[in-house]
Amino acid sequence: MTIQTSTRSAHRGETAPVTQATRRIKKPASELWLRNITVGVIMASLVLLLLIPIGIAFVGSFHDWNPLNGRFDFTGIDNYAALFADPTFWRASSNTLVFGILAIAGRVLLGLAIAYALFSKLSRWRTFFRTIFYLPTVMPLVAVAFLWTLMYNPQFGAINTLFGLDVNWLFDQRFSLLAIVVMTIWKDFGFAVILFLAGLYAIPEDVLEAASVDGASAWRTFWHIILPLLRPMLFFIIITSMIGYLQAFVQVLVMTNGGPGTSTQLISFMIYDQAFVKYNFGYASAIAFILLIITALLTAASWRMNQSALDTPRRRRFTHRSKEKTS
Amino acid sequence: MKVRVFALNAGLLLVGGIVVLPFFWMILSAFKSNSEILSFDQSFLPREWTLENFVSIQTKLDFFRLFFNSVLLSVTITALSVYTSLVGGFVFAKYTFRGRGALFAVILSTMMITWAVVIIPRYTIFRSIGLTDSYASIIIPAVISAFGIFMMRQSMDSIPDEILEAARIDGASEWFIFHRIVAPLSVNAISALSIFQFLWVWEDYLWPYLMISSEEKQVLAVGLTTFRGQYGTDYGGLFAATTLAIVPVLVVYILFQRRFIAGAASAALKG
Repeated sequence: MTIQTSTRSAHRGETAPVTQATRRIKKPASELWLRNITVGVIMASLVLLLLIPIGIAFVGSFHDWNPLNGRFDFTGIDNYAALFADPTFWRASSNTLVFGILAIAGRVLLGLAIAYALFSKLSRWRTFFRTIFYLPTVMPLVAVAFLWTLMYNPQFGAINTLFGLDVNWLFDQRFSLLAIVVMTIWKDFGFAVILFLAGLYAIPEDVLEAASVDGASAWRTFWHIILPLLRPMLFFIIITSMIGYLQAFVQVLVMTNGGPGTSTQLISFMIYDQAFVKYNFGYASAIAFILLIITALLTAASWRMNQSALDTPRRRRFTHRSKEKTS
Repeated sequence: MKVRVFALNAGLLLVGGIVVLPFFWMILSAFKSNSEILSFDQSFLPREWTLENFVSIQTKLDFFRLFFNSVLLSVTITALSVYTSLVGGFVFAKYTFRGRGALFAVILSTMMITWAVVIIPRYTIFRSIGLTDSYASIIIPAVISAFGIFMMRQSMDSIPDEILEAARIDGASEWFIFHRIVAPLSVNAISALSIFQFLWVWEDYLWPYLMISSEEKQVLAVGLTTFRGQYGTDYGGLFAATTLAIVPVLVVYILFQRRFIAGAASAALKG
């Protein structure tokens, strides 16, 4: 009994000298060994596969860098200057913005609506639906992009056939980006369904019961009770979607190759194009760095918004739950 | 009330129908002949069922070689990275050491580093050390997964320390505790991560495209794109190849699905 209490309190990090001594003796060599090897390997891979490459990319973005002819000439900020003067970059930026906003909105709204419908207990076959909606998410993106290229085919594609339309979705500047957005939402909304469902199930039942006893309408319950409690999940989905969609490029590569014109150029596609099609490694690195900064800023901003908006309600919610457990 | 239930189920059924329609259309179209696919008179079901498309992809592409390569790589990387994630998650969840919080924060923040920043230097590094055209070049960058470590730590956080302490007092080694207690309790997270990892390797396009140059070592995702380039009008073959490219992921999903949703959700809930 004494041993147990001492080791347990040591785990909580209490600093009484006796517990520290006990802990030092109790800690087996195998634990240290396992810990050191693991942390060492993780740190080594971080340095070798991420930090050094980021350093090289940063240095490279100030060079005229072409691996084919071995050129690596210092050019100062020329790449960045050229970038801001490049109309394709601005087009790609606005496309990325439109793509990101539409895809995130579609994913979140559709995911939330469907999760709520499945949660509301009105629906039978919940598991069946959950599996159906999740199916596209686990499909390989390259294959899905091919499938939708065929779906959009103006001659035999299911979309024109089904709706009796005659639109060349992927080769018409007005529709090409939208077509890619629709495919992306179709593929990704299932993940939001699963996450929102998990969030909904985590809401203590008596909160919802209390609301219905008080006579709150379904809409008010959703807006004032459920939605605030889903906030952590909402932010998680928005942040991960944001990071994901800023990097999206396989859809574009398979479906339109950036065209027609520059209508489906995304920043990440432009990086691929500059690096591995045109072999302008320096220029591509400069774009990649801008993208990294944008990602970091947007993530940090969402994080801050989440924290400040969440601070009080979240704490209240957790005290509520712990009380529930003890009773 | 009855009307609402009906409307709700009808709505869900409609969305569900829209979601699965592309799959059915693809599978059925794979059994149509090319002339039927391109004809003006479209029908959902093939008028004449044919296996010609499935035969043609093998003769034109050595499809099953690429398919086998992708399976081999996906299984290997999934097994390795799930195991390293388990160990990493265990160390971060259950051991206390100096700098743990800071290192974990660094691991978390690496998840927002875009592929675009690191892929150019990685490409030059791997080329200069002569690792191109080998499976090692595909496996090495994927073995340690920040997302995997994060997910496993989240899941192991809920395992009470008392269980571990009790085992230690009974004389269990750390290795025993890890393999016999912590790993089996993380089976939901293992299922979820396995599906994710398998899918990520299976769908990864750019890195194998850059690294693998010989045709017999190439993976399916890259093969699909070159297939289209070379046989631009063989839509039947494309339908068949895409259908087959989806099968292994579907199998993995069905195998792990029962525990998958709980595992996927737990990572986010506490995140």
